[in-house]
Amino acid sequence: MNHEKEGYQFIKSEQEWNSFLKREKIRDYSKVPVPRARIKGVVKVAFIFLRIYIAFMLVLILLGFLHIL
Amino acid sequence: MPEVKPLAPPENVPFDVNRKLEELPVELRLRAKDRLRVGRLRHRKGLLAKIMLLVALIGPGVLVMVADNDAGGVITYAQTGSIFGIGFFIPLMVLMIPTAYFVQEMTVRLAAVTRRGHAEMIWRRYGSFWGAFSLADLLIANSLTMVTEFIGISFGMSVFGVSHIVAVAVGILFVLTVTLTLRYHRWERASLIIALFNLVFIPLVLFAHPNWSTVASAFATWHVDGGITQLFLYVLLANLGTTIAPWMLFFQQSSEVDRGTVPEDIGAGRRDTLIGACVMSAVAISIMIFFGTLVFNGAQVTSATSTAPYNIAAILSTVSHKVGLLPTKLFALGLIDAGLISAIALTASTSWAVGEAFEWPKSINLPFWEGRKFYVPGMVSLMIAAAIVLVPNVPLGFLNITVQVVASIFMPAALLFLLLLANDKEIMGKYANKGWENAGTILIMVVLISMSALYGITLLFPGAL
Repeated sequence: MNHEKEGYQFIKSEQEWNSFLKREKIRDYSKVPVPRARIKGVVKVAFIFLRIYIAFMLVLILLGFLHIL
Repeated sequence: MPEVKPLAPPENVPFDVNRKLEELPVELRLRAKDRLRVGRLRHRKGLLAKIMLLVALIGPGVLVMVADNDAGGVITYAQTGSIFGIGFFIPLMVLMIPTAYFVQEMTVRLAAVTRRGHAEMIWRRYGSFWGAFSLADLLIANSLTMVTEFIGISFGMSVFGVSHIVAVAVGILFVLTVTLTLRYHRWERASLIIALFNLVFIPLVLFAHPNWSTVASAFATWHVDGGITQLFLYVLLANLGTTIAPWMLFFQQSSEVDRGTVPEDIGAGRRDTLIGACVMSAVAISIMIFFGTLVFNGAQVTSATSTAPYNIAAILSTVSHKVGLLPTKLFALGLIDAGLISAIALTASTSWAVGEAFEWPKSINLPFWEGRKFYVPGMVSLMIAAAIVLVPNVPLGFLNITVQVVASIFMPAALLFLLLLANDKEIMGKYANKGWENAGTILIMVVLISMSALYGITLLFPGAL
């Protein structure tokens, strides 16, 4: 593809290109590990409530479907 | 011995961006080109360049909100207007603007800062149990929602005399063509153009000749015709469920990642999301006013005691009887468009989520063969949904309830993960949620959980209300 046609003239040097790549985060992020979160305090309580909520909803759904059938 | 001329020093060789682009892997190369396009507009001066930049920065926010007005949503709004008129639900739809904005804005920040999709973040930060739970729920909900899109496409095309099988085949071909042949920038622009047709519902209102003072007074009185009944709760949950759905979180975050949103774009992403929320609400309100004016007569509210869905064919028949065929055909056109745009969004959402969970390549910038692992889950989901719609006597009412049930279980869980991630200072730093943002999200969660629980209770104990 033609340089002029694409109009990328605002990047004129290797240094500007590297800073563009850094600023725009153009890299493969799949290769950067994400650490596992530490589950404690409020987050731990939230997860307990989430488990209870899911269990409660599953029971309701089961009863609801029995009601429909 | 001939004299060897020294090579020209590197500083004399003009810097070639295209050569540098060619050194990047294909999906990153295309993303870099998209970002260069935005950068070029930012460097240009003048009003035209500013307008072009504004348009260029519109994308996932508008797309997710318009896709949220899917075929199921459009039918829900039509049923709501027909059953309850405009008294309660129009002001509610205005309230949905900040609600949808609140929730979706967090996905913009998460994408810009982490450069990862929602499924990937849940999987990596909270482990495979919650990752698998979220993914399974999303895949089931997406596939079932896709069924409702095909029902909408098929129903809309039937108004133009197109057979069921042809309508489904056209739907599949259309979605596959857009998804498999266009790379992210073009895919997004094409989807936005398709989404523009969703606005057809707004001028539709003019055919109904609504009483605008009645519409205005709905905001002042905000009352429920017939009181709070099981039917009201059902319709309310359906409206809440169609306004904020789990797939939207996954879709917008992945879409922002794929388009290359960075922290500097958060402001633009917020504008994009706000515009989308306003468009979504305007379309929903228009549909409700249209059907509330033409079909609602107050009788249904007091007579209906079950959650039996109000027949959309009967609603359209009433409309065409009152205002003629043209508005009916415009509505059908809007319904087809709503189904198509949502099917495109759901296909992408499924592919992104699976790709993120299993660390497969995950970008619409990938050509089909290189990204086949990425495209296959979305395609499979599309085909399953189409096959279900073509099965004779399939219990569509049962499927509709299942979609809502899956969404109602998943939404508070999805919101909780969104809240946890947006508050995670370790990854979000200065972009983490502020106190008022948490208060707003928690309020939305409490309302959703309460409504789901209340509806569940009315199902078990019909006389409770």
